[in-house]
Amino acid sequence: MPIEIKNLCHSYKKGTPFEKKVLHNVDLIINDGEFVGLIGSTQSGKTTLAQHFNALIIPQNGKVIINGCNTADKNAELIKLRQNVGYVFQNPDYQLFASTVGEDIAFGPKNQKLSPGEVNSRVLEAMEQVGLDYNTFYERDIFALSGGQKRRVAIAGVLACHPQILILDDVTAGLDPKGREEILTVIRKLHFEYMITIIFISNSMDEVARLVERIVVLDQGNIIIDGATRDIFNQAARLGDIGLELPEVMDITTKLRNKGFNLPQAVINIDEAIESISADLLERQVGD
Amino acid sequence: MELTKNITLGVYLPGETVIHRLDPRTKIIIASVLIILLLMIKSYPAYAVILTFLSAVIFMSGIPLSYALCGLKPMLPVLILMWVFQLFLYSNPDSKVIFSFWIFTATDSGMHMGNLISLRVIFLFTVTTILTLTTSMVSLTDGLESLLNPLRKFGLPIQELVMTMVIALRFVLILAEELDKIVKAQMARGVAFDRGNFIQKTKKLFPVFLPLFINAFKRAEELIVAMEARSYTGGKGRTKMKTLQMSRVDLGAGFVMLIFSAIVVLLIITIKPQI
Repeated sequence: MPIEIKNLCHSYKKGTPFEKKVLHNVDLIINDGEFVGLIGSTQSGKTTLAQHFNALIIPQNGKVIINGCNTADKNAELIKLRQNVGYVFQNPDYQLFASTVGEDIAFGPKNQKLSPGEVNSRVLEAMEQVGLDYNTFYERDIFALSGGQKRRVAIAGVLACHPQILILDDVTAGLDPKGREEILTVIRKLHFEYMITIIFISNSMDEVARLVERIVVLDQGNIIIDGATRDIFNQAARLGDIGLELPEVMDITTKLRNKGFNLPQAVINIDEAIESISADLLERQVGD
Repeated sequence: MELTKNITLGVYLPGETVIHRLDPRTKIIIASVLIILLLMIKSYPAYAVILTFLSAVIFMSGIPLSYALCGLKPMLPVLILMWVFQLFLYSNPDSKVIFSFWIFTATDSGMHMGNLISLRVIFLFTVTTILTLTTSMVSLTDGLESLLNPLRKFGLPIQELVMTMVIALRFVLILAEELDKIVKAQMARGVAFDRGNFIQKTKKLFPVFLPLFINAFKRAEELIVAMEARSYTGGKGRTKMKTLQMSRVDLGAGFVMLIFSAIVVLLIITIKPQI
């Protein structure tokens, strides 16, 4: 299910004195099986752009074509489309409403009018995908969950609809490091094991650098950078210009390079850093 | 879909016009007088005077007319329904029948009643909207507090009451924004709000209103803590950073208002009511 966006514009509160242009002529194509990170500072238009992907927002100007279906088309089957493109909101409290975990995850499949048996197997599968034990959590009260667990229930609730594309809107925000790692592991698994196309929205460079294969950078409603993760971090200076922090690992390796270490430009995760630093140290010893 | 787009009640549109600079007390008094007048008016000419007055105020305040009126859009179905009810149900002894079918009879006095009541609702709404659009929350609170202050002698906790009212007004927009997000989150899980019969549609509201209420309570609790953290103890011993000061502009505004009210009162007394 490719997503194709052409010349998309969007204004918030259009037609009022508070009107604000959020997206300016955005063009973007996302293909099947991609693992895309959508980053930008707050107010850069990330969420607005992403909500076009599953027709939660219908384009004011320009075109959004998902799997050949134009979302602005009057006959478009938006309900069907939203089953195929899942969207997890930043705050799980906007989504969770049932009293137990199982009930809440079952909400999506029930909306698809599946049989009770099918609904149950979907719930079971989704809970497994996000690493929630069925026996422990199925009957658990939603309010008794930790922040990280709530996020996982929210993701499971969307996964149970069987989307082919999953949009994750800043789902690690406000979590403690442990909760964050758990969620990132789940996301990685969803992409590499279950082959779901993932669009990961974040304002943390660290996370994006460790996770995704392609990065799209939004700044004030414009896509200013779009490319493979490594290529983008090779242009480190440009990212600094628009106020995005570089991953900590890159920060350290840059400083080491300035001190005379021989390290490559784009070192984007800890494993690579360890490898290249130890290789350099080894070379020096040999040199001595 | 943007639920917040058409909400103008409780929204402040910053500006530097005469209307914006008026003392909040002046504005609150003028709005109150207008509201009282609107409740007494029973003829078209008096409405025409009010219309002139409000048009002038809207023009001077620099608020785009379309924006000042867009809050009425969601109310339109109710207004139409009300008008139809009056058309068929209201009549007085000397009213003429316009047309009738089956058991319904539309009379001219019913039509006038419908017109006048609709106009009343529209004008009442516009008056309050203009007040909040041109007055910031802080000065609205200060103004109300200062006007209601004499009632404190009777043991009424004025500061607390005003604070509660202003917070409630502020929450209208916040809750609407939250509602927007919740609706989207549930739509993303395949809820089709516009399908099904009445009962099915009503059932679909649970996944929306439950999170909304829970979040509203949470928000209220956080607000309480935030206020207490800044040592809020109510009105007792509280002083103001900005003290309100009436100016010559306020005097002028009061004078203009007086003339207009006099005309309206004169019209109310002299003209035979339409209904």
